[in-house]
Amino acid sequence: MTAERLMLIGGVSAFLLTVYWVRSRRLRERYAIGWLTLATALLLCGVFPNAIMRVAEAAHLSYASAVLFAALTAIYCFAFLVTVSLTRQYRQSTRLLQELALLKHRLSELENPQAADVHEDPKTTERA
Amino acid sequence: MCVPDKNLVVIPAYNEQASLPGTIAALQSLPDSFELLVVNDGSTDDTSRLARELAGGSRLPLHVVDLPLNGGIGVAVQTGYLFAAQAGRFRYVIQFDADGQHDAQAILTLVEACEDRHLDLCLGSRFLDARPGVFRSTAFRRAGIRFLAWLIGVLGRTHVTDPTSGFRCAGPRAWRDFAQRYPDDYPEPESLYWCIRNRLRVGEVPVRMFERVGGRSSIRSLRSLYYMVKVTLAIAVDLLRPKEASQP
Repeated sequence: MTAERLMLIGGVSAFLLTVYWVRSRRLRERYAIGWLTLATALLLCGVFPNAIMRVAEAAHLSYASAVLFAALTAIYCFAFLVTVSLTRQYRQSTRLLQELALLKHRLSELENPQAADVHEDPKTTERA
Repeated sequence: MCVPDKNLVVIPAYNEQASLPGTIAALQSLPDSFELLVVNDGSTDDTSRLARELAGGSRLPLHVVDLPLNGGIGVAVQTGYLFAAQAGRFRYVIQFDADGQHDAQAILTLVEACEDRHLDLCLGSRFLDARPGVFRSTAFRRAGIRFLAWLIGVLGRTHVTDPTSGFRCAGPRAWRDFAQRYPDDYPEPESLYWCIRNRLRVGEVPVRMFERVGGRSSIRSLRSLYYMVKVTLAIAVDLLRPKEASQP
């Protein structure tokens, strides 16, 4: 089996897998765009094998090195974007965690005003 | 809106059931202008139930906020700052460890230093008190603390001796910003440098510290190395940020 045929199979598989996961709502469209782009690139490389050869020649790399470089670049980009996304989600979930805890505290104060009054000076119970 | 005339002592607590009663008891000697807040950071032991029991018998108002998951020390302390921001009646917010390491009497010294020296952040330093026999952490940690003090001194042109101290008093200008942004883990040196770089007034007072009564430090073994690398990176990257502090 040639490398081009492998890319063709890989591209089609990645395309179908992405569409399947988006269809079942387990992958958001915004992330699917990146994977579909990758799948399309793989397909194009399979259909037009000379494209990679030309890039490899222009960069003075062997065919294998050029493929490896392209694959590592794609992996790096995706992994980096995933950690950026994770960081954003961490910040959001942290704030939700804090707001939830503070709201629960406020709710328990409202549900049990006697307990809150024991400790709170009426002059200072005004909230910002 | 009332005039802020109270002070809040924030006590982050993760699995501190052994030491929490002693810590709360020690804080009862504070004046009536103080309120206490235990932020239970998703403890898996009896910390939450115990804190609520202690609230029933506390002379000072003692609030208990339960984080449903363990978020880390930075998240717990920031929850305290958010609590203060929502309450609107606090002037100073003091961070105080639940493990019995800090001296409750020194809280008044920290607040007075903020008042008298117009500080936005005052640290309790265990290295300014030269008396022998005072607990100052292990030699390895002291070396790390000296490095961070040197780094902050060079970059911020401010002399500090105990940048990792978790015993600190924040004035309104500092804690209102901390409520909006605060480092997630190992927050003390990073937040200190943030204050210095954003031209908030920072100072130190000598305090005694004791060996922890119970619980476990969040900085252990290999984590110490991660701590140093993470904090150094955070401080270095902070240099590249625009000034972020709110106007006084």
